[in-house]
Amino acid sequence: MADKGLKGGTLGLVAVIVIGVASTAPGYSLAASIGLVTGEAGVKAPFIMLAAFVPMACIAASFYYLNKADPDCGTNFTWGVRAFGPKAGWIAGWGCIVADLVIMPNLAGVSGQYLVLLFNETAANNIYLTTFIGILFIIAMTWICWKGIELSARSQVLLLGTELVVLAVFAVIAIAKSFGNGTSHTALVDGVTKTYHSVKPSLSWISPSGLSSSAVIAGLVVAVFIYWGWDTCVSVNEEAKDSSKTPGRAAVLSTVILLAIYLITSFGAVSLLGPDFVTDNAGDAFYQLGKVALPTTMVKLLLIAVLTSAAASCQTTILPATRTMLSMGSHGGAPKKLAHIDPKRLTPDYSSYLFGGVSIAWYLLLVTVSHNTSTDAYSASIAAVGMAIAVYYGLSGVSCIVYFRRHLFSSAKNFLLIGVLPGFGGIVLIYVFCKTVWDSRHAAYGYGTLFGVGTVLVIGTLLLALGIPLMLVCSRKYPTFFGFRPDPPDLVKDPSGEDTLAAPLGTYRREIN
Amino acid sequence: MAGDLVAGVGGAGSGYAAARTAARVASLIGVPLVLVFGYESVAMGPRGGALEEEIAAIGEEAIAAIRDELLAQYPTLTIDVELVPQRPVDALIDVAAARGAQVIAVGHGGSGPLKAALLGSITYEIVHRAPLPVLVVPNDPDDE
Repeated sequence: MADKGLKGGTLGLVAVIVIGVASTAPGYSLAASIGLVTGEAGVKAPFIMLAAFVPMACIAASFYYLNKADPDCGTNFTWGVRAFGPKAGWIAGWGCIVADLVIMPNLAGVSGQYLVLLFNETAANNIYLTTFIGILFIIAMTWICWKGIELSARSQVLLLGTELVVLAVFAVIAIAKSFGNGTSHTALVDGVTKTYHSVKPSLSWISPSGLSSSAVIAGLVVAVFIYWGWDTCVSVNEEAKDSSKTPGRAAVLSTVILLAIYLITSFGAVSLLGPDFVTDNAGDAFYQLGKVALPTTMVKLLLIAVLTSAAASCQTTILPATRTMLSMGSHGGAPKKLAHIDPKRLTPDYSSYLFGGVSIAWYLLLVTVSHNTSTDAYSASIAAVGMAIAVYYGLSGVSCIVYFRRHLFSSAKNFLLIGVLPGFGGIVLIYVFCKTVWDSRHAAYGYGTLFGVGTVLVIGTLLLALGIPLMLVCSRKYPTFFGFRPDPPDLVKDPSGEDTLAAPLGTYRREIN
Repeated sequence: MAGDLVAGVGGAGSGYAAARTAARVASLIGVPLVLVFGYESVAMGPRGGALEEEIAAIGEEAIAAIRDELLAQYPTLTIDVELVPQRPVDALIDVAAARGAQVIAVGHGGSGPLKAALLGSITYEIVHRAPLPVLVVPNDPDDE
């Protein structure tokens, strides 16, 4: 009887899959990243798209098991405290907030641009107009999260269905055209006339051969972003206690759908006019590609698909950020005000206002920098968010191993699922982070420079580093929280056992004399 | 006990009017009243732990306020309280089933049919899913 969530209705499996895929926002993720990935990997973009899935899937295992020990809305923050102690946990929480904050300008920018493109192509170059709409978009998304509005399952199926069908139609037409006679397109790029031609798709596009490791890493740091949100769907779906087979099958099916759509769409995008065309139009790649491949009405649908997808992705940005802030406030590691709940909406109100406000300020700052200098801070934010994701997901993988260290060798299943997979995912992501820090220090990395250092490095690490002084301030103000100890390893329960819940956070603490 | 009246209470006064109507009926026919607060918020995004604790605190406060008011008015009425970590609709249907209740009373906040169909509404969903009679009582704006 204990129906949970949308399964309570008549939709069952479909609804669960829809939530999983929708919160990953495939349309927006592709629109924002495809041009940057082709810039790094050329025709091998489909390979990068697939490769990025591997570490993210490995980390999903650690999310799943850590969630069994403590299903707290603070996720990485809470798990970090349990595995390493309050300071590391605080920084992990900060990493999550930073990742969400860094992506907001891009989300707002893409939405602003695609919304204007829907009505008037030339107006989309008007930075004041798109920025204004972008700000409205941030306000609207924050408002939706504060109101606790959740689209009904039916509306979600409709929106996501449109998105997937449009992307699939686009991909099929693009691939068909390039297999046929091919097509070509001439455009003026930076004052030079350039002609682009179709490239016949080849299976070699999903093999890494011929790519330098730097290109792979630079592609990966962008592409991990497209799977961001998929992990939440796994842990949320699986946590239904009454689960029969629906959640497991939904997780597998949503993964298959997601991988398939990324694969065929990136094949289509790359083959239609070659990878250079995608790279040269990174800002509005889907619009430009759509204009060549599709009839006008379908182009509008493609724009709408990207827009609704961007709106759906507030599930993976604003919600986790405000919930992490709430958890930090509620457990006493940050101002208590962050944990305030709106009594009517039952959502964290103060955290939502704060996140919305800071997002707008950050967006304006990036737009100003991008507009007045040669620095492309706006595109750099995608690579920078990849860095933040890599760091905080990487930490989750490591937290999982450290937290469950006494149970790693108790069974082959444990060894694989809480040891090997999280370890592999964690190491890959932390390596991606470190390599990106190293490679992006020069202007040659692309996206321009700020203060003489690569923009990606500045955006990616400045905000992360800002967490350290903030954490030190909090550690003086909140000695109780910062007196918490990591869970004693002997008292950590076997995640494969019957009872997996850990004692409340703060059970183990330093004695204060 | 079979025959109970179940009333859904939300935060900030929503469902108070439904609870008052249900209390009047329950005291007339002499059955217990059960006040239910379902506190799972938005299904997507991370939840649990701190979020549920903070929301449960709000539920306790909201229920305590209306419970005191109703007890003052109907001193002999038995009022039970259930805080359930589920979506409000599921919480109400499960509690009603477990107690063999005869009616569920819910508030109605005034969202029109289009908004309800697009965004979902507790009242809309429960009217369509409940296997027992549902009593819909408009919220009193004075309660907010």
